[in-house]
Amino acid sequence: MTTISSAAGQPAVTAAAPPAGRPDVNRRKLARMGWIFAAPALIFVAGVTIFPILYSVVMSLRNVNATGNGFVMTGVTGANYSALIHAAVWRYALGFTIVYTIITVVVELVLGTAIALVLERLTAGRGWMMALLLIPWSMITVINAELWGYIYEGTYGALQAIFQAIGLGHPNILGTSTPAIIGMMVADIWKTTPFVAIIVLAGLVMLPGDIYEAAEIDGASGWYTFWHVTLPLLRPTLALAVMFRVLQAFGLFDLPYVLTGGGPGTATTSLAVLGYDAMFKNLDFGGGAAVATSTALLVLLGCLLSLRTFRVQVGKENT
Amino acid sequence: MRNRKRTGWHRVINGVNISTFLVVLFIGLPLYWLIASSFKTPANIGVDPPQYFPDPLSIANYKSAFVQYDFGVYFRNSLIITLISTALVLGLGTLAGYALGRLPMRGKFTLLVALLMISVFPEIALIAPLYLLLHHLGWLNSYQALIIPYTAFNLPFAIWILRNYMLGIPKEMEETGRIDGASPLRTVWSIILPQALPGIFTAGIFCFTACWTEFLMALTFNISNNYRTIPVGVSQFGTIDVTPYATIFAASVVATVPIGILVFIFRKFVISGLTSGAVKG
Amino acid sequence: MATVSMDQVNKVYPNGFHAVHDLSLEIADGEFMVLVGPSGCGKTTALRMVAGLEDISSGTMRIGGREVNDLSPKERDIAMVFQNYALYPHMTVAENIGFALKLRKLSKDKVNAKVTETAEILGLTEWLDRKPGQLSGGQRQRVAMGRAIVREPSVFLMDEPLSNLDAKLRVQMRAEVSRIQRRIGVATIYVTHDQIEAMTMGDRVAVMRAGVLQQCDSPQVLYDRPDNIFVAAFIGSPAMNLYEATVGDGGRSVKLGSQHIDLPDAVTVAHSALASYAGKAVVVGLRPEHLPAAHAGFTGPVLAGDVDLVEALGSELVVHFTIDAKRVVAEGAHAADAEAATISGEGVARVDPRTPAKAGERLNFAVDVDGIQFFDPDSGAAIWS
Repeated sequence: MTTISSAAGQPAVTAAAPPAGRPDVNRRKLARMGWIFAAPALIFVAGVTIFPILYSVVMSLRNVNATGNGFVMTGVTGANYSALIHAAVWRYALGFTIVYTIITVVVELVLGTAIALVLERLTAGRGWMMALLLIPWSMITVINAELWGYIYEGTYGALQAIFQAIGLGHPNILGTSTPAIIGMMVADIWKTTPFVAIIVLAGLVMLPGDIYEAAEIDGASGWYTFWHVTLPLLRPTLALAVMFRVLQAFGLFDLPYVLTGGGPGTATTSLAVLGYDAMFKNLDFGGGAAVATSTALLVLLGCLLSLRTFRVQVGKENT
Repeated sequence: MRNRKRTGWHRVINGVNISTFLVVLFIGLPLYWLIASSFKTPANIGVDPPQYFPDPLSIANYKSAFVQYDFGVYFRNSLIITLISTALVLGLGTLAGYALGRLPMRGKFTLLVALLMISVFPEIALIAPLYLLLHHLGWLNSYQALIIPYTAFNLPFAIWILRNYMLGIPKEMEETGRIDGASPLRTVWSIILPQALPGIFTAGIFCFTACWTEFLMALTFNISNNYRTIPVGVSQFGTIDVTPYATIFAASVVATVPIGILVFIFRKFVISGLTSGAVKG
Repeated sequence: MATVSMDQVNKVYPNGFHAVHDLSLEIADGEFMVLVGPSGCGKTTALRMVAGLEDISSGTMRIGGREVNDLSPKERDIAMVFQNYALYPHMTVAENIGFALKLRKLSKDKVNAKVTETAEILGLTEWLDRKPGQLSGGQRQRVAMGRAIVREPSVFLMDEPLSNLDAKLRVQMRAEVSRIQRRIGVATIYVTHDQIEAMTMGDRVAVMRAGVLQQCDSPQVLYDRPDNIFVAAFIGSPAMNLYEATVGDGGRSVKLGSQHIDLPDAVTVAHSALASYAGKAVVVGLRPEHLPAAHAGFTGPVLAGDVDLVEALGSELVVHFTIDAKRVVAEGAHAADAEAATISGEGVARVDPRTPAKAGERLNFAVDVDGIQFFDPDSGAAIWS
């Protein structure tokens, strides 16, 4: 068999370059329009985020003295940062925030997935269940903190009543370090697990049904199917959700501030609570800025480490 | 998925239904506690052992929230700030989402990644400089003190959601509009926007929720009683010694009802927003 | 005066890709011109240049006599139907059709009148208040056409409007589109990759390949006198059989493999240039419909082939056979060529359904020499006089 590339139809392949033509005017016009459309939003965002953060960095490197009417910033110093690193309370806050995040995220993930798996099998009322799941998410965190504060209350809280009934005595949950931490985690998990469940459920629902039938025909048990078929397919959705959740966790403030005030002592002082207290309770703006900036740097680091995931996310939706 | 036909009592009592019931308990019990406690008389809120059902039922707390405390003021403030911020976010965000989704711009990619990173930024890092700035401008304790940061912080996520929805619109829409003779602005308004409505609802409900529940900035910038928002107001009920839980819960119920209703009405949009990609808390 | 006139039009993309080469084409008033070719041949790009959706790199584009290179689509007085219709999903059928008129600030009454009129022509009157989502594929296609018709443009442009329909519907809509176009009487440029659509619908068909126009003629001429191998292979279904052959003395016979085919005088005269190829190789083309089974007693030139497979269509048998000649493939004419496990010497013939053809046996085909084509093996150009 021979192939003929019909030379009669081809243009004379001379050395001449193809006609340069006029530039794509329309494309440029559209690009310009795009910048005009996007500019207001971008300027707004940049103005309120980029410039303040730069200011914060500057502030963290200077001696800051609060006066009646504002600040006086003098000199350039790393004293704020060295104080930070030497401050046990900061090291604790850092460790606490990280460990707290890891534990709560893991629990939320496991519980949330379990709930999602159950709800996926629900034939009737799934819509109502999903609506129910949204309520904790829509609750104000402060309110959630107050609710659990009431439950954990040492004298008349519901929890201590239950403990007494079982015969476990009279616990002082919010007054003792470890129980306070656990109590805070429970409050957090209660509020966030339903949200995770919705995400996982939505992801499950989108999975093609025939792979399960194929697995069943192949003789796979329920657990095996979940572990080797469902989970790998869910991984992208879960990974993204987890990444965002973890990065945001560095800002943990509402719950510890309202539930325990950062205590007992500094047991539940997260990085954000530490920063806030430094700046607005102790008026140590330099130190507070150092906390703030270092926290931001950590988040930035986390972003850069997950940059590939970010890019994939953008690329995935780039048609 | 596997649709096993259940027979007899298995149709009602089975693993799935029992587990579902447990889930309902898990979520419902604390919620019940919140609502029930709001109807307890102030005297009965701190009773030991606690009343599992309020007796007598009382709406005294609701009254005190509005009369003794200025909850009405807080509610109004939250409403104004949330609505204006959401409107701004949707207005600016839709245009930006359209541009970043459907117009040929160079550096689009980088911008989007940057927006994503900004959306996870810790607020604490910006509190002090913003505080100073607002102080300079004399804008502490005002509506704009919160509207401006809220808008800026919710824009990145909103832009992402809106962009995703814009991408889903067939790409011939603009060309058809051009051929029909519509100007670019007219095309966006009459052709693209109506089709992006689901995305607008999604971004709107997320923004509303975020503004309604925000605490740190509201605490720092608007501490004066006249401009407090609900989260701050509720957290400041009472004194160092006394936490008036009853009133707090009454206020909480009033605060949660509107957003609960909104989220319920728009729940389809919330769920689709969660699955469309960038997922935030 | 031609309605659309393209003169040496080129399209070069910023990345250097030369999509359309020196395209020169004239479409007369009321004519139905089809641009056909495999994907990537530049037909859609050409169409979009007429519409004004793509900038023209060089060359002149005229609509109604005036140069439109720099004009926006709106100013060109054209209307376009896209492959997936691009109907506004949030507007009713009536609003969809009337949108362009509204933009031109026509009074509500006038808009309504025109919309009603157009809906009648297309049989859409009872659907005017529905939204596109509630319509079937065929109905949506008609709404897309309605949107174009109502503007009463100088030119209709259609970009593969039937590709999204299922086969049966496509056949039905083909006729409808033709009928409507004839009734409206507006010059139409229609892009498709389906050569059957091209042949059945076009007044003239322009075959394109890799950005270059191969031939532009009426369907019958394309079929009877393809200018080159590509056009010959592209037009007609099943495709023309192409073989390497050697020309005998004076161009009076050709040898395919081991088989000798004498050419009657009429053919020799029609392809007088063939004589200059005496002793040399040419490419011979025989359409499947020009290879009926030879009855006993047939005295004309005969081609014997080994039958591989017989497909019964009811109206005819499609016989797949092999001869010992070398098969020629026109690059890009059929996607299947690249995929098929090619066997040398394959061919296809369409014979009477009562022919006793069986796989594994030998069958004689009567060569219809009037339809035989000859091509230069290097340039691919057809050999005539």
